[in-house]
Amino acid sequence: MNGYAGKLLDIDLSTATIQEKILDEQLARKYLSGLGFNAEILYRELQPGIDPLGPENILVFNVGVMVGTNIPTASRIEASAKSPLTGRFGTTNSGNYWGSELKFAGYDGVIVRGRAEKPTYVLIRDEEVKFLDGGHLWGKDCWEAIDLIRADHRDPEIQVALIGPAGENLVRFASIENGYYDAWARTGLGAVMGSKNLKAIAVRGTGSVKVAHKREFLSAVDETRRAIVSSPFFGAFSKFGSMLATGPYHEFGALPGRNFQTGYLPTWWETRGRPQVPKFSKRGVGCIACNIACAHWAEVKEGPFAGLKMKDLEVTPVFAFGAQCDIEDLSVVVKATEVCQRLGMDLVSAGSSVAFAMELVQRGILTRDDLGFELPWGEVEGSLQLLEDIALRKGVGAVLAEGTGRAGEKIAGAMDCAMTVKGLEIPMYDPRGRWSTWTLGFLTNLRGGDHLRSRNPVENLKYNENIEPYRTEKFGFDLKLYEQLDMPAAVKEDIFTAPAGEVNVAKMAKWAEDLLALYNSLGICIRPPVLQQVGPTLMAKLYTTLTGWEITPEEMIQAGERIWNLQKLFNLREGEARSEHVFPERFYRVPLPEGPAAGRVLDRERVEAALDEYFQARGWDPATTGPGTEKLQELGLRQ
Amino acid sequence: MAKELVINPQRCIGCTTCALTCSITYGEDFNLNRAFVQILKDDRKGLFSIAFSSACKGCKKCAEVCPSGALRTIEVADKPKEGQ
Ligand code: SF4
Ligand code: SF4
Ligand code: SF4
Repeated sequence: MNGYAGKLLDIDLSTATIQEKILDEQLARKYLSGLGFNAEILYRELQPGIDPLGPENILVFNVGVMVGTNIPTASRIEASAKSPLTGRFGTTNSGNYWGSELKFAGYDGVIVRGRAEKPTYVLIRDEEVKFLDGGHLWGKDCWEAIDLIRADHRDPEIQVALIGPAGENLVRFASIENGYYDAWARTGLGAVMGSKNLKAIAVRGTGSVKVAHKREFLSAVDETRRAIVSSPFFGAFSKFGSMLATGPYHEFGALPGRNFQTGYLPTWWETRGRPQVPKFSKRGVGCIACNIACAHWAEVKEGPFAGLKMKDLEVTPVFAFGAQCDIEDLSVVVKATEVCQRLGMDLVSAGSSVAFAMELVQRGILTRDDLGFELPWGEVEGSLQLLEDIALRKGVGAVLAEGTGRAGEKIAGAMDCAMTVKGLEIPMYDPRGRWSTWTLGFLTNLRGGDHLRSRNPVENLKYNENIEPYRTEKFGFDLKLYEQLDMPAAVKEDIFTAPAGEVNVAKMAKWAEDLLALYNSLGICIRPPVLQQVGPTLMAKLYTTLTGWEITPEEMIQAGERIWNLQKLFNLREGEARSEHVFPERFYRVPLPEGPAAGRVLDRERVEAALDEYFQARGWDPATTGPGTEKLQELGLRQ
Repeated sequence: MAKELVINPQRCIGCTTCALTCSITYGEDFNLNRAFVQILKDDRKGLFSIAFSSACKGCKKCAEVCPSGALRTIEVADKPKEGQ
């Protein structure tokens, strides 16, 4: 096969069996790879209502078909299972080198079933696939465990997907770490891996990825590279990475300060803003095939954590620990990132859990006696201690390990402090401070409150006022970019309201979700320079010349829609209802107290109207929030 | 003017695009073992080393696609002929 390795590994830990499955061409054309394969497999094979932490849950990793080639940013692997945090389709994407090693070993993906009797790890080295005793790794943090696995096999190039103590202890937001510094972080798949007694999947491959039409393919790759480099975001993204976003939300007054109690932190820009980046980082580090290198090598030069060196200084932990917990010192955020990476926890949910506990302390619901230490806003030692307590399920940590949604139900009076949508902690910024495609996406996203799968490619980072509040957002760039945007003319006309230069949020959300589902199903990265520049036309060109299987841009975007709908069907089968598409009460009731967005509060009716418009754009029933027969037929998803 | 390949491993981001590109240029598929340039990763430290094999053709394609400047070409004056 071209592009594809052509085989999936099917591993059953209960029976200690390993099977190879030949990839079905029809299925591959329909669901592409990555996220598409994961959705297809889990929807077909999982029974609704199962315990996500029982042996009946299935954990799947599928690598994008483009990974292993020189397509810029083609490095990504999607991991999915039923989420122990949300009870929905749990899914998460990561890059680095694990995916290319797996492709070079001859596999597109790995399906993991059952539960091993004792701690185990799996080694995949080209055709050699085996279960190995993981006793010496259990209890070790992720960094130590990688070192041990590499030493076991005397190969420093082995790539490792693994869990830390948090996954072993079934923390509901445990991550699967991908090497030292990357992760499949959200929705708690580390706990699923832990429930299977599986510490790690170590991979090394020395084979090939084949190309159908080499000359045409390489010219499409060149075109892609040129397009990415031409993005207005390219230079800044290579230089500052995602830390770019520290500016706009501060200017909007939409920071998630002190667990979403304030959108404005007076010292934010001087202490935690983008200008701090050069103090910590000098150079970029990239995933395989990436020409952006959004990740940076960070070194802490002074203070108690001086000498700490790692990849990377990323904006999500800066918002989680820097804003939500109001920790001023970025070197502490780097330290907290390290702690979470070693323990194997999602930085967003972990930071949110600490912020949640801090608010409970503020309100007198939790005390020093409950915690064993002080935990005021901005507290450094207490925060790091709490992270460890969560991972080891010690004291209050055991309750927080359930996620803030469940903890909010268990601790009297705490529910109002759990900042989740559909069970997933909201990252990044306060919806009251800014309405946009992204904000609506916190509600429509299939994994819950999430910023990574519903994102306007022409993100507005300049203006915060629109002609039709809740319905539109201003186009964020020079209108030239609008002309260039790879989007069918009719869709463009429908989404873009000329001459006001605004974007219809509901319709853009649909487009963006389908598009992002494609990136996650092809193995390319969703970072803004790619998102702006690589649309269905270029994707179709790359896919066709790589695999030799003709696909049109229209079929491409429809595949994205199909994959989005299939995940939705999974969630509906688990009982997802319209009533769950809501923000925490605080956002409707309590106005932001200070800063540029002071006084703002969400209008419940208008939020509901925006949702109605979104469901309509999707061709879904606004009451059930799902596709009807007609939509399913159109997408080839007849049940 | 001739072109010369300059190597600066401190700038390398580890993307391996050089080796991927070399392998597809001289072979029919992507295979890092068949590339004439190898990137060895110390990913814990974020350091990479760049090693060319003796079979390298000197075409500098790898430098053309290198995004970081770790591999790049510079113009050099042609060497004066011996005896001049
Ligand atoms: S942009 Fe960043 S996350 Fe995406 S592939 Fe490149 S280095 Fe990896
Ligand atoms: S100079 Fe040409 S042959 Fe040599 S490593 Fe670079 S691409 Fe390969
Ligand atoms: S030398 Fe250049 S192309 Fe090769 S891995 Fe380093 S940065 Fe990437």
